[in-house]
Amino acid sequence: MAQGADGHRHLPVLATAEPQKARRMTAARWVVVGLAATAVVLYVVALTQPWWRFWLFAPQYPKGLELIISLKGVAGDVREIDTINHYIGMGHLETAATFERRMAAYGVGAIGVLVVGLTLLSGRKLGWLAATIGLLFPAVFVADSMYWLHRFGHDLDPKAPLHIKAFTPQMFGTGIIGQFETYAAPYTGFWLALAAFGLLAIGTFVRSRVCASCGLASNCGVVCPSAFVGPGAGGGAV
Amino acid sequence: MQSRTFALLAVASTLALAAGVVACQKPTPKGNAVLGASQSIKDLMQKRGLTDGDVEAALRTYVPSGKLDDYMIFASGGQSGQIITIGVPSMRILKVIGVFTPEPWQGYGYGDEGSMAVLAGGKQGTHEIKWADVHHPNLSETKGDYDGQFIFVNDKANARVAVVDLSDFMTKQIVPNPLVSSDHGGAFVTPDTDYIVETSQYPAPLGREYVPITEYKDKYRGLAMFWKFDRQKGRIDVANSWAVELPPYTQDLADAGKLVSDGFVFINSFNTEMAIGGTLEGKPPIESGASQNDMDYLHVIDWRKAEKLVAAGKATTIKGIRVLPMSVTAEEGVLSLIGEPKSPHGCDVSPDGKDIVVGGKLDTHGTVYSFEKVKALIDAKKYEGKDAYGVPILPFKEAIRGQVEIGLGPLHTVFDDKGNAYTSVFLESVVAKWSLKDLTLIEKLPVQYNIGHILSAEGDTVSPDGKYVVAMNKMSIDRFTGVGPLYPQNFQLVDIEGEKMRLLTDMPIGLGEPHYSQMIKTDKLKPLKIYPVGTNPYTGGIDPSATLSGKERIERKGTTVDVYMTAIRSHFVPDRIEVDEGDTVNIHLTSLEQSEDQTHGFTINMYNIDISLEPGKHQNLSFVADMPGVYPMYCTEFCSALHLEMAGYVLIKPKGDATKDKPVDKK
Repeated sequence: MAQGADGHRHLPVLATAEPQKARRMTAARWVVVGLAATAVVLYVVALTQPWWRFWLFAPQYPKGLELIISLKGVAGDVREIDTINHYIGMGHLETAATFERRMAAYGVGAIGVLVVGLTLLSGRKLGWLAATIGLLFPAVFVADSMYWLHRFGHDLDPKAPLHIKAFTPQMFGTGIIGQFETYAAPYTGFWLALAAFGLLAIGTFVRSRVCASCGLASNCGVVCPSAFVGPGAGGGAV
Repeated sequence: MQSRTFALLAVASTLALAAGVVACQKPTPKGNAVLGASQSIKDLMQKRGLTDGDVEAALRTYVPSGKLDDYMIFASGGQSGQIITIGVPSMRILKVIGVFTPEPWQGYGYGDEGSMAVLAGGKQGTHEIKWADVHHPNLSETKGDYDGQFIFVNDKANARVAVVDLSDFMTKQIVPNPLVSSDHGGAFVTPDTDYIVETSQYPAPLGREYVPITEYKDKYRGLAMFWKFDRQKGRIDVANSWAVELPPYTQDLADAGKLVSDGFVFINSFNTEMAIGGTLEGKPPIESGASQNDMDYLHVIDWRKAEKLVAAGKATTIKGIRVLPMSVTAEEGVLSLIGEPKSPHGCDVSPDGKDIVVGGKLDTHGTVYSFEKVKALIDAKKYEGKDAYGVPILPFKEAIRGQVEIGLGPLHTVFDDKGNAYTSVFLESVVAKWSLKDLTLIEKLPVQYNIGHILSAEGDTVSPDGKYVVAMNKMSIDRFTGVGPLYPQNFQLVDIEGEKMRLLTDMPIGLGEPHYSQMIKTDKLKPLKIYPVGTNPYTGGIDPSATLSGKERIERKGTTVDVYMTAIRSHFVPDRIEVDEGDTVNIHLTSLEQSEDQTHGFTINMYNIDISLEPGKHQNLSFVADMPGVYPMYCTEFCSALHLEMAGYVLIKPKGDATKDKPVDKK
């Protein structure tokens, strides 16, 4: 390690050739942190937004029926859909995923802590973890919703007036149930979560570039020795 | 995982986001394929014997399935006692609103507390009145223009006025007039609906006590009733209503002044001869006795001044109503008369409020009074004399702007947006179009047959729309397929947009002889689609007995049984009511539906109970279980595939039945 002209110690390659690049790298570190923070904000906003939307069309519903799923519950024409569903012995929509809904806020809180924590603390080897968590949440949402759709379509009251074959409503695109044509598509909250993941992924990419040129790169493992933006970040403090 | 992979995922997710925005637009279901339109229109015309004019008329009136009418007519239902709503230009009946007569489809008057109370509120005398002679529906106005909130209508036969709330198209109040025995000039509103005006027709002693007809001139009277309307409550405020005593001429039609003439009411009359008939004694019938004078009297009332006099205590109270006597009104210039030829009928104020048009009936003219001149004469106390009751008579020639030669039997006049007036001409059976500006006749259109009233789009407001006139014909003779000797009436839709009036279509009215009607642009109407769950339409709020899902129950207190019941596809809860003979059963019935047009009905067989339960509506009904037996109760509106299964039983055990205390089913 050589003493630079500015009195700091730098990695030889940076110190001699490009002090300007060092400043860029510092800025890049904050960009990564900013992206992570923004992703967390998007998640928090997503908590208040609808995540998935179903439409049901039948001749007597010219405007269609709408069912909106959010992390907090169901909305839209729930009363009417429940009323129709009782004919085939399907449960009330509000009884679905009650545990998941109770946990959703904690889940988002955990994501916030994990994403910020991993961004600041993880070393090069685990730098991708924050983004993975960002992707995991919407994936779990989709998987869980599909589970509940399956369960609702199969747990039908055998004493119901109309007996129909067990079925699983479509989570994506179009389907047919009785006289209803159904359409399903992700909605604001889900897209916000995906956008959050996108930001985290971009952050991960930038981070990998920063870390590659970090003076502590050789020293870096599971944990970032400089807490990513902490004193000595970039290797000067070693 | 590689950072490059994440970069790719980031791009992918951004693209997905964009795709999502596109996908978020609501999809539409597949429509039906258009049927082959290969049939040539010419062939069709030939086959059906249609002219080019017929086809054009059809194109102007046809409203395809899924499209809506632009205007709505509120038509008097005549003897049916109801109001008919009709779409324009399709001329399809949309609904018959139950007003004075019980109406079973709407469950109006068949057991539910609210409608029974409304109908009972209209009680006159001691006989149960089961009909009405509905005459003149009038929409509520704000600044002289329809506001689409309420409609009022009078019952000529029984001197009553009803209030229909247009938020749910239901009658909320019927007010009987305790002073008069018949009404005709009503129910006209003042420009801000402060008052609903109802004027009497056949003179009689005020309060309806017996007085020999020989004392007709001394004791028989006419009356202009000013019903105070409380818009907030949506009800007539009887306590703050009052009346103006009128001479025993037969007052006929009335209209309220607007804009410059706001504050005045105009009422025409016939039989100023005060003929009282006596055909059996060889005296002339009223028809001739009442037609001797060449001039009768247009009555002019300064109602704002009258209101002040009533407030100042100048009125005499008769049967609980404050009545301003003629001695006061004549003295104070509140009531004035002006000559009018001859046994006239219509009395209509022009859109600008400057003119009052009176149809001559037995005179061939429409007489156009200038409000400005009338007002000046009243202010200057320039009278040509006084009548036998001391009411000042203004000089006819100085009060009119002019007369227009219309034809034989001119009656009612409505207006368009271009300064034209349209008068119904009964004997000639035509609609006469004339210019308000220079009082000249422009055109006559034959109608089939014997036109009575006439209406145009918002044609009695301060801003008529033009577009359509409807001739309300008293006879149809050869216009419709025979249905026995009682023929339908004939409404004829006339297009008035072009240079020439054009008859578009006929519509049979087969439930009464309509009188007046009004036509409102449908965008001014904002009716409810559903009620919030538990709404009592007669209080407008959630009923204290509204029942929610899971709260259904039966409570017994002595011999009174309260049933808190809900209805939703396709069941009632409870669906079994077991009571004892002689019990009073109160059913508090709430529809839990919140889906548009998902109406249920409710009946208990043999008990004359019939309820309509629109989504969210709550109804309270009561009956004494005085016929022991087994009575099905069921939903009377085909609500769902399992509608027939939406049923239950009312079981009424006879008194002293040994099985009474044994529960029928313990499961």
